[in-house]
Amino acid sequence: MPNLPMINPQLLSMSPEQVQALMPYFLVCGGTIIALLACVLRVLSPKWPVFLLTLATCAVGICSSIGLLHNGTSVTLFNSMMVSDPFASFFNVLFLASAAITAMISFRYLDREKIQHPEYFVLLLFAAFGMMIMTSATDLVMVFIALELMSLSVYALVGFRRTDRRSNEAAMKYFILGSAASAVMLYGAAMLYGATGSMEIHAILQAIRTTPTLMTPLFTLGVWLVVAGFLFKVASVPFHMWMPDVYEGAPAPVTGFMTTGLKAAAFATFVRVFVSLGYGHALTETIQTHFHNILWVIAVLTMALGNFVALTQTNLKRMLGYSSIAHTGYLLVGLIAGSASDQGYAPMVVYLVAYSVMNLGAFIILTVLASRDDGGLNLPDLAGLSRRHPWLAFSMAVFLFSMAGIPPTAGFAAKYMIFSAGVQAGEIPLVVISVLCSAVSVYYYLRVLVYMYMRDPVGSPAASRMSAWSTVALAAMVAMTLQIGIMPARALSAAKKAVTSL
Amino acid sequence: MAWFDTNLLSTLVFLPLLWAVIGLAVPAKASRFWAAAGALLTFGLSLLVYSRFQTDGAEFQLMESAEWLPSLGISYTLGIDGISLWLIMLTTFLMPIAIIGSFSAIEQRVKEYYFLLLSLETAMLGAFVSLDIFLFYVFWEAMLIPMYFMIGIWGGKERIYATMKFFLYTLVGSLLMLVAIFYLAYMHKQQFGSYSTLITDLYKLQLEGGTFWTAQSLIFLAFAAAFAVKVPLFPLHTWLPDAHVQAPTAGSVILAAILLKMGGYGFMRIAFPMLPMGVAYFQLAFMVLAAIAIVYGAWVAMVQPDIKKLVAYSSVSHMGYVVLGLFALDPISVSGSYYQMLNHGVSTGALFLLVGMIYERRHTREISAFGGITKVMPLFALVFMIVTLSSVALPGTNGFIGEFMILLGSWKANPGLTAIATTGVIFGAVYMLWMFQRVMFGPVTDHHNEELKDLNFRELAIMTPLIAAIFAMGIYPNFFFSKLNPSIDRMITRTMGKTGFKGLSGVARAATLPESHS
Repeated sequence: MPNLPMINPQLLSMSPEQVQALMPYFLVCGGTIIALLACVLRVLSPKWPVFLLTLATCAVGICSSIGLLHNGTSVTLFNSMMVSDPFASFFNVLFLASAAITAMISFRYLDREKIQHPEYFVLLLFAAFGMMIMTSATDLVMVFIALELMSLSVYALVGFRRTDRRSNEAAMKYFILGSAASAVMLYGAAMLYGATGSMEIHAILQAIRTTPTLMTPLFTLGVWLVVAGFLFKVASVPFHMWMPDVYEGAPAPVTGFMTTGLKAAAFATFVRVFVSLGYGHALTETIQTHFHNILWVIAVLTMALGNFVALTQTNLKRMLGYSSIAHTGYLLVGLIAGSASDQGYAPMVVYLVAYSVMNLGAFIILTVLASRDDGGLNLPDLAGLSRRHPWLAFSMAVFLFSMAGIPPTAGFAAKYMIFSAGVQAGEIPLVVISVLCSAVSVYYYLRVLVYMYMRDPVGSPAASRMSAWSTVALAAMVAMTLQIGIMPARALSAAKKAVTSL
Repeated sequence: MAWFDTNLLSTLVFLPLLWAVIGLAVPAKASRFWAAAGALLTFGLSLLVYSRFQTDGAEFQLMESAEWLPSLGISYTLGIDGISLWLIMLTTFLMPIAIIGSFSAIEQRVKEYYFLLLSLETAMLGAFVSLDIFLFYVFWEAMLIPMYFMIGIWGGKERIYATMKFFLYTLVGSLLMLVAIFYLAYMHKQQFGSYSTLITDLYKLQLEGGTFWTAQSLIFLAFAAAFAVKVPLFPLHTWLPDAHVQAPTAGSVILAAILLKMGGYGFMRIAFPMLPMGVAYFQLAFMVLAAIAIVYGAWVAMVQPDIKKLVAYSSVSHMGYVVLGLFALDPISVSGSYYQMLNHGVSTGALFLLVGMIYERRHTREISAFGGITKVMPLFALVFMIVTLSSVALPGTNGFIGEFMILLGSWKANPGLTAIATTGVIFGAVYMLWMFQRVMFGPVTDHHNEELKDLNFRELAIMTPLIAAIFAMGIYPNFFFSKLNPSIDRMITRTMGKTGFKGLSGVARAATLPESHS
């Protein structure tokens, strides 16, 4: 019976560095709680105060995270339950920015759908806070708790259109499957504890480094179950079944949030846990090859399935859902290549940022265009959009070209980095397959353009008005898509700074 | 001015784009004049570039370089040699003509149309001046976007099918090239210790070659996939008739005159000098395909009922000569191929403009709908005659020089294929002259044709420079070759001089280089 560590009261006190390193977490958590309290203030209409509080919380969170990113220090917290390092700060910025943009585009949407409840924004903040904790967690229990905080908030957001059946179905489906996936992950964590005697990922790594014999089948199975949990969250084949339905049923802005924040969070944590568990440096060669081969197959299947099924979709939300699966595949290529190329996981991180920007942008447009109950998002509804809303159509074209990986957009720069890392890692067949899959994807992205630009409008759809908030958000996304595409060096160096702390 | 002097090429490349963006604020009625002014200004700037280019100067001139993505060895490097120079001139020369040629044809969404045309010019010029293969790729792909919209929005009935086909064909080819670029940049790191995508750095790579499963052959195939689709080489040509026929006139002109040249340019700038053993390995195969393209294109053109489709298939045939001459790798045939690219740009561009003019008057392009046009439109018939004769390579016109040099040079490499290709010259004369006869001569059979108006001043004004170019290039080709040949020689020396070139006639040919083009 090993000595269980007693809780030392000294561990509960914090040094000034630790307080500083926790600043974004304090600010976001505090802001969330104040926003939650503001919901109860029924004296006034709480929608404005809560909305503005949400934006303010995100803003201060982003500022303090950027400050930490510039500092570049790694601080271990809470008896190695968490670490606040540039990697976490980098992603915190991404999560909070995507939450802020989601809030900005949701404001009018909620009014229009008559579901303007301030709790929506609080749930968004809780989800973002869960993501922040999850990415900085270094203990599997902490990962699990953060994952649940994030997931539960998102389950509620998915079902936020209470009177719509599809929204309810999506929430239910996501909840049941998501819970099963969380359980699988927890089970994996328990097995790792059984195999190595710790839940803390660095301690696990230390254990298998010092005694390689600990890499028993129990250990491998544990790792696989944890990985399966992540593969579910990033929606890779064969754990993708929930995604199209949930994407279609969830309110449009929530779908945008899920494809960006949630996916980025899952991938970031995936990378941290995966690297910390010794992928690419500490595992025995057999286990390493074994992991590599299975991920290789999963990546290929994910890309192929996502792209080919997207070809047949006529609903835009569903199509972007399948396209999101396809992008998971490209990201997995980055993950596979990451351990063997000299750029490390930086290309994958850039890809996550690029993907978040362009996808969030596309969902801003869908949110603006959606009619009641998220109708009017089928391809024919877009016919002649370039006449009705030239700037919306132009922005959408930028995002679609970016998703298709056509220069000079962020999607191209990111694909270039990720695939060139793949070639460096000697994965030429995988890169050729990815490239051909992305050629397939061009067809369905361009089909949207065909409707927007090359067909005449049918009937006279209700003119959708954009709020100033959405306009600002959309302009920012277009600018970033082009900026990362034309000047990718800064994004890459920031990403490199982030991944070196892993 | 100092900034302008050191950034001449950047200014040339981005001026049309800048002009296009400002043009969005110009009222729709004036946007065509605005665009024409921009294109003319760019042409003027290109004359300045021409005057700064020194025939016996450095290999690449007017160089500009800036860091772009240093950790992957990517830089923003521009520069020109003789090979890029004339294609730049061709682009800037044809652009105002294409724009002024669309004045009356484009009535809808005018602003967007000229925006796309000018941004297309930036992409094309960018591809010709890039000395970094990543930058080249960016421009190469960016070119697709305006063309995609031009065919899809202002095209004919089947425009959506045509534009999708065009985009997907070209894209699949380009993506394979992208993988090749990754590999080359990585090999540079392996051999020289750092990443680089600079074209001149990649020339120095030593890659395995000789058999099919070697780096040179596979990488060459990847590049060839991109370039051969663009040229287009049989059997990858099927997107071309669709795209040409559906595109608006200016789209067809630019597609035929400049976009197709990207393929030939890519072979000369990238594939040949970087992968000599790859070229050697596939030399015969490509020459065979080129010969097939020449004859097949001519035969198919012969039976087309639609004038525009006929011209489109004639492009397949003419570009077949270009590929034949390039892969023969003889200094004479390579120069001839390059010259043929310029010729094809001028003649086919002119043909598409003429077809567009008659289409605007009659709203049909069926050969059977015409007859006796000479009587109602004498001036039109005269211009058409000159362009037709240039297209069938009559001595004295530009077409003759190119085809003659290609066939002469290729004869040494492969007499059999050259003989087959030569029959293409005859078939070419047959389909062009037969078409001309049916459209122009005989009695006026259709009463719709009786009232046709002859060329107006604007139309004459855009045809005049083209006709001048046809004769100038036919009568005094040395003006062009003097700036071109040093670069072609360098390219061939690079390709043949590298160890292990075992093409059809081996290394011996390299020895004949100095005495060429006397």
